[in-house]
Amino acid sequence: MVHRRYLRTMSGRKRVGDVLAMAAVALIVLFAVFPIVWAFLISLKPEEDIVTATLTYIPRRVTFENYVAIWTRSNFPTLISNSAVVTLMTVAICTVIGTLASYAVARYRFVGRREMMMFYLVVRMFPAVMIIIPLFILMRGLGLLDSRLGLALAYTTFLLPVFIWMMKGFFEAVPNDLEDAARIDGASRIGAMVRVVLPLVVGGLVATAVFVAIGAWNEFLFALMLTTSTGSRTWPVGLQLMVGEFQLPWGSLAAGGIISILPVMVLFALMQRAMVRGLTAGAVKS
Amino acid sequence: MTYEVAHGPAKTPRRARGVLARLADVSETRFWAYYLLLPSLVVILAVVLYPTLWGIGLSFREMRLNRLDLGTGFVGLKHYRAMIEDPVFWLALRNTVVWTVGAAVGELALGLAAALLLNRELPGFRAASVLILLPWFLPNVVAGHMWALMLDPRLGVINDMLVRVGVLNVYKAWFADPDTALASALVVEVWHGFPFFALLLLAGLKAIPNDLYEAAAIDGAGAVKQFRYVTWPQLRTIVVAAVVLRVISLVNSPDIILILTGGGPGRSTLLLSLHAFLKVNKEFNFGYGSAIAVVLFVLLMGFSYLYVRLSNVMRD
Repeated sequence: MVHRRYLRTMSGRKRVGDVLAMAAVALIVLFAVFPIVWAFLISLKPEEDIVTATLTYIPRRVTFENYVAIWTRSNFPTLISNSAVVTLMTVAICTVIGTLASYAVARYRFVGRREMMMFYLVVRMFPAVMIIIPLFILMRGLGLLDSRLGLALAYTTFLLPVFIWMMKGFFEAVPNDLEDAARIDGASRIGAMVRVVLPLVVGGLVATAVFVAIGAWNEFLFALMLTTSTGSRTWPVGLQLMVGEFQLPWGSLAAGGIISILPVMVLFALMQRAMVRGLTAGAVKS
Repeated sequence: MTYEVAHGPAKTPRRARGVLARLADVSETRFWAYYLLLPSLVVILAVVLYPTLWGIGLSFREMRLNRLDLGTGFVGLKHYRAMIEDPVFWLALRNTVVWTVGAAVGELALGLAAALLLNRELPGFRAASVLILLPWFLPNVVAGHMWALMLDPRLGVINDMLVRVGVLNVYKAWFADPDTALASALVVEVWHGFPFFALLLLAGLKAIPNDLYEAAAIDGAGAVKQFRYVTWPQLRTIVVAAVVLRVISLVNSPDIILILTGGGPGRSTLLLSLHAFLKVNKEFNFGYGSAIAVVLFVLLMGFSYLYVRLSNVMRD
């Protein structure tokens, strides 16, 4: 009898605990997504419903005029396309170079392997400002200042090490036996790598590339320092300048923000599972 | 390579096969791993190490893009001496410590709470653990302006809510008051950064074997003791690694403060990284800016070393 009553109170207490946990999680989710929801709501309101004496929460009248305004009456499309080009270049550089390097550190035991991994980690510790200053002078000398290629190269400073660390985890998840079998069948090392291992890590490769792409798409400080004209300026800098110089109306600002985070949200929604796996693999294993 | 180019374009298919076959041969040599690493090393040397060394050198030289008459001569420790005598430097250093400690503690606390809750696997928690990651993937520029809209002194929704609930009597200009500017920016930063901790800690919690909890329960440990003697020791490595990584980026990147306040009002939110950036971006004083960046780097190295050492010592 005692035993049973104990069990019942335990499950009752557990149920209360579950309800409390769900309430707390709901609060945290609200905290996380409310700013995005709020910006979205503002972007749908006409200007006279934004600047009002009493705040309206749900838009009384839904309009897309803010989206039309930011897209047609500013250089936003140019900014977005510059960002897209820089992002693609960064992803291309990181993917080609980073895949080779991460395969080497994941698969081969060679002198200096540990030091290499530490090196890729320590590189992240260099302050952005410390790199930006000499990069500015160097790129000015090479004619890369205010160019999209120059910016993409600057982004590899912090994204290539991340790419290598993340990709290493995906390569390590592929069993060694597969390559050994291919090697016994007469494949060269590079043959085994390209034809046997690479097809198996495509999911991880895409997730890593998406992570790098988001990093390049979002970057602000390097772009602010290294671009000076609309020929290469990316959207974060452009949007910031519009707010500062032209007193961008709220609706347009919110619409611009929503447009620019749309690709991030879509890619994240598609790839989040593999991305979470890649980001946490290293942390959990040790 | 040059030998094959000499064959001319007529033999392209054979040449292509030749290159592949050669690559296959190269892949069988002892140095293959190093060949694979070479491109990444070259890139990192060119865009990270070389600029960094140059930046350190620059901190001992004069360089002002708007005062080219001063030349670019060696000035020794001039910038470092100027820094020590510059009250703005010390203020920015103090702000950086408050900012970094406040954000790291806040993000760790909220991230840990979120991870512990989400580890319970109740209905809807899988979707929730994806949704809370969103802030981390949002660009600083958009994150900053979303919050600027919400905290606006005239039309901000947070002011509206606080007045309705009765916490505030009148709308508050959060970023215009030196007493609340840094704290308000910290809220934004915690929102932006806590998912990073939640992500890593949740993965860490999932990796703890259930036997440990069962054994602890048999020994009579309640929830608090289980956390103290099972969860926390198992999470330690991840917490230490996550804190180091997070502190590095908190100290190094002035983005969100630059967007929210630009360092103001006055200098109440000026961080060292922002101080260095503004010296370069606004005053074109590359030498002095580099010197501040070098100090930042040395402080970070010192912190990372001590933190990792201390947390190892305390574990023994």
